[in-house]
Amino acid sequence: MLLMNLFRTFAYLSTGMTYLLIFIGGLVRVSGAGMGCPDWPKCFGRWIPPTNINQLPDYIDPSKFNIVLAWIEYSNRLFGALVGVTITLTMIFMFKYYRSIDRIKYAVVLAFFLTLFEGWLGAVLVQTVLNPVTITLHLFFALIIVMLLIYATQEAYYIDNPDSEKNSMYPKAMGKYFTFLAIILLVEVILGTEIRGGLEMIRKENPIVDSKFLLRMLGPFKYMHTFLGLLITVISSFLWYQLVKKSSSPSWIVVQSSTVILFLILVQIISGEILVFLKVIPLIQLFHLWIASWILGLVSVQYSAWKNSQTFNE
Amino acid sequence: MNKNIILIILFITLLGSGASWVINKANLSHKIPVIGDVPEFSFMNQNGDPFTNKNFENKITVLDFIFTTCPGPCPTMTYNMTNLYHDFDAVTEVQFVSITVDPETDNIDVLKEYAEVNGVNDERWSFLYSDINSIKELKRDGFMLYSDELPQGHAIKFILIDQNGSIRKYFDGTDEASIAILRKDITSLVKTIRS
Repeated sequence: MLLMNLFRTFAYLSTGMTYLLIFIGGLVRVSGAGMGCPDWPKCFGRWIPPTNINQLPDYIDPSKFNIVLAWIEYSNRLFGALVGVTITLTMIFMFKYYRSIDRIKYAVVLAFFLTLFEGWLGAVLVQTVLNPVTITLHLFFALIIVMLLIYATQEAYYIDNPDSEKNSMYPKAMGKYFTFLAIILLVEVILGTEIRGGLEMIRKENPIVDSKFLLRMLGPFKYMHTFLGLLITVISSFLWYQLVKKSSSPSWIVVQSSTVILFLILVQIISGEILVFLKVIPLIQLFHLWIASWILGLVSVQYSAWKNSQTFNE
Repeated sequence: MNKNIILIILFITLLGSGASWVINKANLSHKIPVIGDVPEFSFMNQNGDPFTNKNFENKITVLDFIFTTCPGPCPTMTYNMTNLYHDFDAVTEVQFVSITVDPETDNIDVLKEYAEVNGVNDERWSFLYSDINSIKELKRDGFMLYSDELPQGHAIKFILIDQNGSIRKYFDGTDEASIAILRKDITSLVKTIRS
């Protein structure tokens, strides 16, 4: 097939845009703009955020008005809506081209409903003035959505390019390692957000203490995060060894994803240590989270490729 | 292949600089305006000590107007103020002031009891009273708040006052989201005192 069909084009687009949306969401978080618009879905009662404090409706306290924070939060909403439209189109094209392939169908339909759910969670966040559990869920489902999209995109690719994993031979019975790694990665991200949330809770009680001292007060969460990080390193190295070294003619995508995962884990260790030992720098926090979402996506890529090769060799 | 890596690095750098610019903008946007100075006044607190505008010096103050028998928003305001009072208990620069708008009922004994009921056991939270006309005048001319029909029309604002006795910002004392911003603003003002 020379040209990608519209489903595959839109599936790539949705995946890329969802990643960008996770980045923007993280930016809202680290810049403290979560309450930039105190109402939902409008911002200060307007579809375009006000530029002047005099444009505020009577029922909203003017002390909440900060034009910079309003626009940061509103960009997240606008881009979120755009991603929602793109995922909807992806689903429509999925019904056109792959309606008979259950695994693609269910992944895309689930991603679509989770996207609606994410929008609703965004409204709950504003209503509850950024309830910490809701913040974590908001991120958690974004990660699930992006994994579903990657899975559907790759499965569609294999249907159109059935020979991709023709020559590769990977060790069998590795499915459980991928599942285990994905679960630990998700738990690790949640622990990470708990560290962030915990920092904010402690900061509320000790308002003007330096973040570095606050980190020390966090205790067990921090050690769990480090411990799981080590576990992730071990499992990913093991997977790399199995898929790259112990396999015969592994495909380009498997070699690349396995290697990039290890590289990104190294970046995560370094950035994590900077946050703990040097300084809590918002930009590094943001990338620390974002790279975690990449690792999850790449594990999904590894899994699909391995799985495809297995069915091929059966 | 190399071209792809360069593109990726370029993209990440762009994204990073963009994010950095936004974070910086957000940090700078937390400027707290100076609205005006609190005029001179001299009231009494729940312990019978005088409390004047001089007591604002070198302190960050959160001030509101309440009355102890108020059925409406005051309990919410006092509840929110109590939370702030506890959150900042290790920060000696922060103080809280509640001025009664019903001094006929709220005499020194009533205010003392009100303080105790709300768990106030130190100097950080003062409950003030005076004659009704002085209170009205301070509220209307000093804080630019509606002062007719007291005590009912007592305003639900929390007023943030800095170490120079200047009014910095008004907050809705019944709104959780406003209080969250107030909490941040108090912290940043304390940091300016300490630095």
